Amino acid sequence: MRKKVIGLIDGQSGNIGSINKAIKEIIKGRPYQLKIIRGEFDYSLFNKIILPGQGAYATLISNLKKLKIYKPLKKYLENNCSYLGICVGMQILSDQGHEDKTTRGLGIISGEIKKFKSKKLIIPHMGWNSISLNKEDPIITNNLDNKDFYFVHSYIFQNIKKSNVLANTHYGKKFPSIIKKGNIYGVQFHPEKSHKYGLNLIKNYILKS
Amino acid sequence: MLKTRIIPCLDVIKNKVVKGVNFKNIKVMGNAVEMARYYSLSGADELCMLDINASYQNRKTFIKTVEAIAKVINIPLTVGGGISVLDDITDLLNSGADKVSINSAAVKNPKLIRQASLKHGSQCIVVAIDGKRHENKMKVVVKGGREITKKELIAWAKQVQSLGAGEILMTSMDTDGVQNGFDSSMLKKVTSNVTIPVIASGGVGNLEHFYLGHLTKSTGLLAASVFHSGKYKIQSVKKYLKNKGVPVRL
Repeated sequence: MRKKVIGLIDGQSGNIGSINKAIKEIIKGRPYQLKIIRGEFDYSLFNKIILPGQGAYATLISNLKKLKIYKPLKKYLENNCSYLGICVGMQILSDQGHEDKTTRGLGIISGEIKKFKSKKLIIPHMGWNSISLNKEDPIITNNLDNKDFYFVHSYIFQNIKKSNVLANTHYGKKFPSIIKKGNIYGVQFHPEKSHKYGLNLIKNYILKS
Repeated sequence: MLKTRIIPCLDVIKNKVVKGVNFKNIKVMGNAVEMARYYSLSGADELCMLDINASYQNRKTFIKTVEAIAKVINIPLTVGGGISVLDDITDLLNSGADKVSINSAAVKNPKLIRQASLKHGSQCIVVAIDGKRHENKMKVVVKGGREITKKELIAWAKQVQSLGAGEILMTSMDTDGVQNGFDSSMLKKVTSNVTIPVIASGGVGNLEHFYLGHLTKSTGLLAASVFHSGKYKIQSVKKYLKNKGVPVRL
């Protein structure tokens, strides 16, 4: 049987060590192989693609363009192929981001990225916070409801359709922490830094979704 | 709800965790990788490790230790000590650190904070500030408190925020190592003057100290000796805090 191919995009936006390690642990002894994507790629060769991101929206978009990852990734997503975007890797699915300047996103899940708007809040939202599920989904089986995950971000996904929100988190106000459209997922937190429940989520994504 | 973070701190020389900053009486507490693995498994919310003797020879082993630790934990790792230029920060992030803590290099060259946060994002730039009272003022100190700088503590805290620091690791040299509790008044002064997260450091000796630290509005509470000595387990600190109504990850 041909092994399923998981692509891990290195968008030069934070280190990919932890997620790389997590994926390797999960696929050990299973019919999967991991390929790191660092440049132009043939999207038809991948069964799943994971993009972790840190830092600024505009930086990640421009990195992906510079590395010639942007176009094949957009095609891949437009074909509703399986994707997991982490943190900024989730945010760039939106139509646009308003970080420093307004930047066009991939436009896959409608909505825009805006800063937390409260003078009382400590920003970035940094640390462990819980998620509450909106609906059932293979990547968040019930045992992950109300569990804590590690967040570090100052911007959130706004004006998103409710039907695209799988889970919310509360910080000052409710914001989407897991989103989904078709086979495309995004998580605002860092599952690769979120101990066993984070690993469970990545495992669910790879094996069950 | 956002949880208060409990953060064990490893003072490291090469690959060993050592106790104290008194170089005359260095006591080895254990192997850094093993201790990091243990803390990650036992419920630490983050891990902090500092190269407290970043000489040229020791540095290589330390970097290898960072790489080894990053491989065995799945919680965020902050690494500090021995940073003077931007490349040092890049090296640590490439070795597996999630955040880098800059202290005296930032005092000497505040622009480094801006350069580092522009290059890598504010979220991974922690500025460690050591504070001390001097002639009725709170001042910034360096070299483990031995050198008092001209900088006023609160002005510096505000400045590092505006330069792009994502977090402040605040150690009071008036309470560090004494185990009589965090420096509540100093911490409150800092947390009420910045909007970025503050990690309280220096002085934890008992459970109530953690609670008092939480009351300063610090969102992370850092401790070393009480964990390394085995006096408290991470989970027992968290259970205590939970009973006090503090949100923690159990």
